[in-house]
Amino acid sequence: MSDKNSAAFFRAEGVLISRGVVHAAAWMASQRAGLRERTIRFGQAALAAPLFGLLGQNDRSLGNRVAHLAYRDMTEDRITVLAEEYVDDILDGKILDSGIELIKKARKEGHRIVVLSEGISEIMERVIEQHVRGVDDLVCNHLEYKDYKATGKLLDPVIGGYEGGRFIRDYAEEHGIDLSRSVAYAGHGPDLLLLSSVGQPCVVNPDFTLRKAAKEADWPVVDYSA
Amino acid sequence: MGIPISIRESYEGRHILVAGGSGFVGKVWLAMVLERIPDVGRIYLLLRGKGRGVKERFEKFVNDNYVFASMHDRFGEGLSEYISSRLEVVAGDVSKPDLGLDPEVAERMRGKVDLVINFAGLVDFNPDLRDAVGTNVMGGVHVADFVQSCEKAKLVHISTCYVAGKRDGFIPEQVQPKSPSGEVIDAKAELERMHTIIRETEEENKSPEVEAHLHKDVIARLAARGAEPSERRILDMVSRLKRKRLREMMALAGTERAKELGWHNTYTYTKAMAEYLLLDRGDELDLAIFRPAIVESAVEYPFAGWNEGFNTSGPLVYLAKTWFRHIPAMPGNPLDVIPVDMVCKALLLCGAALMKGEHAPVYQCGSSDRNFLPIDRLTELSALGHRKWLRKNGESALHKVILSRWDALAADPDHVLNIGNIRSVLKQVTRYLKHGLPEKIPSELQEAAEKLAKNTESSNKRLRQIEDVLDLFQPFTHDHYCVFECRAVDRHSVAEDDLRFEVESIEWRSYWLDVHMPGMRRWCFPAYENKDKEIYDPPFQFSLIDEVPATAAPAVAVADAHERTG
Repeated sequence: MSDKNSAAFFRAEGVLISRGVVHAAAWMASQRAGLRERTIRFGQAALAAPLFGLLGQNDRSLGNRVAHLAYRDMTEDRITVLAEEYVDDILDGKILDSGIELIKKARKEGHRIVVLSEGISEIMERVIEQHVRGVDDLVCNHLEYKDYKATGKLLDPVIGGYEGGRFIRDYAEEHGIDLSRSVAYAGHGPDLLLLSSVGQPCVVNPDFTLRKAAKEADWPVVDYSA
Repeated sequence: MGIPISIRESYEGRHILVAGGSGFVGKVWLAMVLERIPDVGRIYLLLRGKGRGVKERFEKFVNDNYVFASMHDRFGEGLSEYISSRLEVVAGDVSKPDLGLDPEVAERMRGKVDLVINFAGLVDFNPDLRDAVGTNVMGGVHVADFVQSCEKAKLVHISTCYVAGKRDGFIPEQVQPKSPSGEVIDAKAELERMHTIIRETEEENKSPEVEAHLHKDVIARLAARGAEPSERRILDMVSRLKRKRLREMMALAGTERAKELGWHNTYTYTKAMAEYLLLDRGDELDLAIFRPAIVESAVEYPFAGWNEGFNTSGPLVYLAKTWFRHIPAMPGNPLDVIPVDMVCKALLLCGAALMKGEHAPVYQCGSSDRNFLPIDRLTELSALGHRKWLRKNGESALHKVILSRWDALAADPDHVLNIGNIRSVLKQVTRYLKHGLPEKIPSELQEAAEKLAKNTESSNKRLRQIEDVLDLFQPFTHDHYCVFECRAVDRHSVAEDDLRFEVESIEWRSYWLDVHMPGMRRWCFPAYENKDKEIYDPPFQFSLIDEVPATAAPAVAVADAHERTG
């Protein structure tokens, strides 16, 4: 257990990385062995995009579940090797420097650094290892495997809905974190619960729902492009 | 947990005769013993050849071979003294009675040797039956004769798990009384049968009919070439063709008999026969049979990725890098791969147990029983390994972008895109390009067609070679499901960490991608591509010293080696 009693929670998508899970799942699907498999699974992953568009500002769980169907029947070996390639080649240049600066700042302020992500562990662990220094904990999605093959399901709890908020309350209790002294950075509608659980919420590159909420709650808003 | 055993203590001061120590496993075992068991007694290394020649051969393989690189680094100039004080090279040949040893040397060893390890074997799948019988069968018999003539020697006979032949399922650590086809084996009668097959094949090759046929063939060939058919030239060519034909007939005869009895090839058949012949000796011979499965690149000794250059998985893995993507393999079947250093550690344990009289009759050394690796996983890992490599090192954009993603798959041999069908299509294309095009076409088109025909023809030849390789491996990759019991090693628990057999510790993905494939890329693939083999360049030349001074480096070296190997 860390001696730090405040934490900085970062939602990876939109704050640290400019690509989301649909992009990762679609890319992975396009790299499967066999043309038929590639086509079918790519289609499945692509289907998640409109779902995120329609529901993403309120609940991303369904979109997440559909996107991750693209991994069905892929072996753990293939997912691990492709995840390495995805992080090294495809995400190269997609890591947001401003987000990395926010982490550095939070670290300097003595917060425990926790990254939350909708991405799968195979990708996110490498992202953290390669690009984001000084992270104490990573909370992300885990694929379910049976006989070395992904079933296409995510293990509970699926990160992406409102679990972020629930998670940090449990996390704070477990690690003796004082949430009123903690900070959180996120940019999607479903992160409202996460942001409202901490004393110092900060909205980063928000979508429409979150921007509106931030304005009403008078939370600071950071736009990287600004 | 088994009975505790210390490998170093078991070998301390023990004298060991090693036959066939210049092979892949033998070399690694030898280096491992010399480096990690410095208090071993004297190692007598039997090498084929005569007099000074064998000594020079040994010096060359210590100087040129990466197996000894870490010893060169560790002992530097002192390596000559270090090895010379522990090892003596003796000239001999296992295919000869009394191992072809000089009588004086043989007599000297008879009183001293504690353990004999017979690595000698002809590992070609379908060799000339005479060679296979000479080395694999009679070699084993002669080594056993020598062991029995010694005062206290015991024998570890190296065989192979694949003596199981066409049996399926769980293969226990036993010598089965029947052949895989179900015939009761009378080893002596079968050996006689082998000799009869050899005799009959030789007789048949000498027959006037064969002579006449070859004579006719030579004349036709010379006529086709427009060469002068002189009597001497004809006789020379006939004699050469006869020898070639005899080798082919011998290989065929061996394979036929092997298949009749349920073995896949002459190698496994002759290795199994040696086991039967040794077991026939009963209590007169202190024996342990050691059967490795498919021996591949080292995990850590002499260093990660070391292999000799030719190994079983090499051609299959190499194929996964080509445009041919349907590898005939049955998903779910194991390919029992075991790293060479693991084999050497299990073998050290087997020898130690045998010297203590606590051994099992048969030790199988594989991974399928303890850390299962299915062939389809291996195929995918190979494809992924090539993908990683080609993306960065591909010769062209085509290789980097397309070939790297051209995944090899485990497929049924009857798959529509199997190699036979691809060859047939290519053959038709070649025929059409050569003879099927209309006569009146522009000369540029004609030239292009001729060029293309040449390419398709040479591709067809290469595919033919690949087809032969796949046929050879199909029994192991597709037709049979064998899990080799590997539990005899559990009789003892080894005290030393660096000498413990721990096949469960292999994480196949990292082994395949980060150890084995880079190893094959360095040592195997250049051989398939007719490139030069990498030769080790030692910092100091090693040479065997006949008389090692009593006060020389060994004591210091021993202490040093102890300290370093922990």
